Amino acid sequence: MIVVEAGRRDERSLDARLLFAADLAAHGYDAVIDEETVPEALARATRYDAAPYLSARADLAPAAILVIGAEEIGDDTLLTLRDYALPPEVQIAGLGRFASHQARLTAEARLAHATGRTPVIVDLEAEAPGLAPGSVLPLLASAGAAPAAEIPTLALAFGAELLEDPQTLPLLTAMNNLGAMRLRLITTGKAKDQIKGTRYAALPVFSVTELPPAALARGIELLAVLGPGAPGERVAALATALLARGGAVIDSTEEAALAASGAPVLRGPATLAGLPGFAEHTVLPNRAEIARAAEGDPWIARHALPRIAALAGLPAPERSGATAPPARGPRALFVPTNGNGLGHAQRAAQIARALPADLPAGFCAFPSCLPLLNAQGFAAAPLVSPTGAHEADDANDVLNALRLSRALAPGDQLVFDGGYVFTSIFRAIVESGARATWVRRGLWRPGQIAESHLDREKVFDQVIVPGEAFDELNTDLTFGPHIHKVGPIVQAAGAEAPEAMRSALAEALGAAFETLVVSMLGGGVAADRTAQLQTISAALAPRPGAVHVIVAWPGATLPAVLAQWPNTHIVTTLEALPLARAADLVISAAGYNAFHELIYARTPAIFIPQIAPYMDDQERRARAASDRGLALTVLPDELIVLSRAIEGALDHGEGAARARALAELTLPAPGTEDAARLIAERMA
Amino acid sequence: MTKTRPQIAYVIDPRFPGGTSAAVADELAVAAGMGDLAVHAVSSAMFKGRQVAPVLDRALAALGLRLNWDAPAIGGDLVILHNPSFLKFQARLAPRLVARRLVVVTHENFALPGGLPGFDVAACLAQIDAASFAGEKILAPVSPYNRETVAAWCAAHPAAARPWALAGEDWFNICAPGDAAATPRPRDRRGRHSRAGIEKFPPLADLDLSFPESAEANVILGADSLMAAGPLRPHWALFPFHGIEIERYFEMIDFMVYHTAPTLRESFGRVLAEGIAAGKVVIADPDTASVFEGGVIGARPDEVSDVIARHIEATHLYAQQVDRGRAALARFSASRFAAMMAQHLAPAEAAA
Repeated sequence: MIVVEAGRRDERSLDARLLFAADLAAHGYDAVIDEETVPEALARATRYDAAPYLSARADLAPAAILVIGAEEIGDDTLLTLRDYALPPEVQIAGLGRFASHQARLTAEARLAHATGRTPVIVDLEAEAPGLAPGSVLPLLASAGAAPAAEIPTLALAFGAELLEDPQTLPLLTAMNNLGAMRLRLITTGKAKDQIKGTRYAALPVFSVTELPPAALARGIELLAVLGPGAPGERVAALATALLARGGAVIDSTEEAALAASGAPVLRGPATLAGLPGFAEHTVLPNRAEIARAAEGDPWIARHALPRIAALAGLPAPERSGATAPPARGPRALFVPTNGNGLGHAQRAAQIARALPADLPAGFCAFPSCLPLLNAQGFAAAPLVSPTGAHEADDANDVLNALRLSRALAPGDQLVFDGGYVFTSIFRAIVESGARATWVRRGLWRPGQIAESHLDREKVFDQVIVPGEAFDELNTDLTFGPHIHKVGPIVQAAGAEAPEAMRSALAEALGAAFETLVVSMLGGGVAADRTAQLQTISAALAPRPGAVHVIVAWPGATLPAVLAQWPNTHIVTTLEALPLARAADLVISAAGYNAFHELIYARTPAIFIPQIAPYMDDQERRARAASDRGLALTVLPDELIVLSRAIEGALDHGEGAARARALAELTLPAPGTEDAARLIAERMA
Repeated sequence: MTKTRPQIAYVIDPRFPGGTSAAVADELAVAAGMGDLAVHAVSSAMFKGRQVAPVLDRALAALGLRLNWDAPAIGGDLVILHNPSFLKFQARLAPRLVARRLVVVTHENFALPGGLPGFDVAACLAQIDAASFAGEKILAPVSPYNRETVAAWCAAHPAAARPWALAGEDWFNICAPGDAAATPRPRDRRGRHSRAGIEKFPPLADLDLSFPESAEANVILGADSLMAAGPLRPHWALFPFHGIEIERYFEMIDFMVYHTAPTLRESFGRVLAEGIAAGKVVIADPDTASVFEGGVIGARPDEVSDVIARHIEATHLYAQQVDRGRAALARFSASRFAAMMAQHLAPAEAAA
């Protein structure tokens, strides 16, 4: 175990510790940071950066302690080191940029006094000066897989000053549409917000603190650094990581700050306008040669992390490296979000079942989804739901980020089904280097899916948009060759005959019936459905030959009063569709899955849409059917209308008329197979 | 024929907060009686923004002297530069030093226990050498241990040491013997005082041995770093540096127990002399105690409680030890210092 400390306890030093711990971990070291040395209140991105490396002080068992930024060691750090009361065999090393021999001696003496042993001192300024003068973070090169994307990605790193030129955003937009390269912008958080507030918001922009540099480097083949002078530590770390992987770094700074360091960078045009041509015609044709040259480059060798680790006297790494491939082959890891129902999990399971036999599927899912997935034959690793027990509202997601990162390996594909891309998913995709697919059904309410939600589309290789049955409901949120529209993803009706289901149900209930009404109004998460269920039960109570079955998901809570109706029964099941197909009348919410299952099973229904503002636009979906005479739409507060609708369906032949219309309806082909094919193709 | 008084010039950064300023303050009174005295202050990078040490201010005021700040040239028969380590954060000593004899008093050990350099000695001495024109250039250690580190450095760096000779006699700190009477009924009341630096404190396990729960009182003055780490031991009374008057502190204890980080050794040990002068039995690590030749009891932390128990049980031992301490301090008297200094003022008597 290597404990990473820093001379100072400021924000910059903490950032450097986290990034350096990640670098060490990537080389197989068990790198940790004492959680008592980290402020309790951390910025959101920092919480995710820190989570893999924080350790309780009681659990520290260091073989060595590395103190970075050792040119200035404060009392807080010294007191911590003293309090460790380290056994004599623990190695202490200080890594710093010492302005003088005395500065080095001061660091050496302070560490010696605090720990009672002679430390090893490594002067980074002499040994590995890196690309950013004065950096606390040791800017070291970590070997990694050479970038080899068919369409390379060019990242531009720049500061907010570039946006002062009104031509910048139009130029970037033009670059974003070059066929030869993909574009990725890396800038300050402020500049990102500025871009997202313009009509150029679709540009793929990353804030420089959004992801660790090593993760950002994974998806990049070319990096151009623009600006007046030397870059900050994170951009410098990104450039170093890319150089070590054989990528191309273009120095487009005004002062040639990177080229002056002696690093094997390419001096490029200092203006944005000159970059596309330079990248496409000068750099791209020579990518292979650049990668070959990196292998023997003395600057990269000098900055290699193992070399500096040896100078610091670190023992051999605990592992051979963090990027070792898993014993298993690549897989598609489905991650359905936890919505108000189980629609996301159900859709993900349908796609997973349609995957080719040679592509295994795995699941990471919230506890509410696990019974459904297990019932469908899928093992699933649990994610953590928010509990409200932690001050930070994303404490569960920080943990999920760890679980997802461990579940993914390069070569895997993460398939996310949901609306909001959690930070855990966003980071796991980039940090693991896995491919990624976003299954994102449509019909969002206006304003429901914000620009900030769509911003994270940039880390997905493709977006699969399951269609709606009725075309006027299909709208585009984003555009591009990575968007794939498929037909509705809908569960195919089973082979069991409705009559058999009715007989089985009668036997199970111990009561013969002539009329079967099935209610599927959801689990009560989005809204209390007691009033509607009471109305339905009351309407059916006087009918001696009728049975009312309320379908409830496992774990759903329904008011006990419903069980007191003479012919109302609550059935807890994950298989609602066979029941619905056997019914004379179905009264259902209009969520994507239930709606399409009923329409594709050509089952007449009364739809009572969920109208909570955070739900998809169920009323539009329901009315698309009722406007065609395929169903009836009753709003949740229209209880008298609901009673009459039941009467009309059962007594006045309105249900039969809808069944005839449904029978004549031409529906788009289901998209489940297409979705599975698109996912499988991405694995190739 | 009138005999002219020798010209004596002191060169210091008067903002040293600890023992260096206190030592210089004590010897200025002696030097003033031995020649025409000038005190030159150098604004070093090390103490930028700090105030002149109060102890020096008081000494200068008592002698009617003023500090000459940053003179371009300093001359004298004897030029004494105290503690060259104040030059460690700069590249050049600004004033030119012209002297028949230049003495550099080496308050800081040139090496730490374990062998690490105490500071960038070569760079500091090179600055002084480059700025000075002197018939003799002398390095004057303050104690036998300090001498060992200086001699070892000279042996290991012959080229850098070439301009320098080693003084034959230590340029010791003048120590007032004190007149506080030893308590006739010593109790297990222990204390230590020092600056707050982490190097001044031993490991926590050693502090526990030196200041145990069984003691009637454990007073630690200068405990800023311990206080920053939280309330470590309820049986410790912790005070920050300058948190209480030193006289009040000495009233609270009968035994002074002083150990440092194993990577530090006091070059002289003024802090121990203060304890002796206050009429206390002083216990320190055996090496540091040796400077006082029996006046300080040498004991490891695990031996401290036994030593104290013996001196409480047999109170005459306590009184004898305080007397031994006083006798030790007599060897660091002002008159002995004057005699030592006179050697440096005598033209023919160069360093050994």
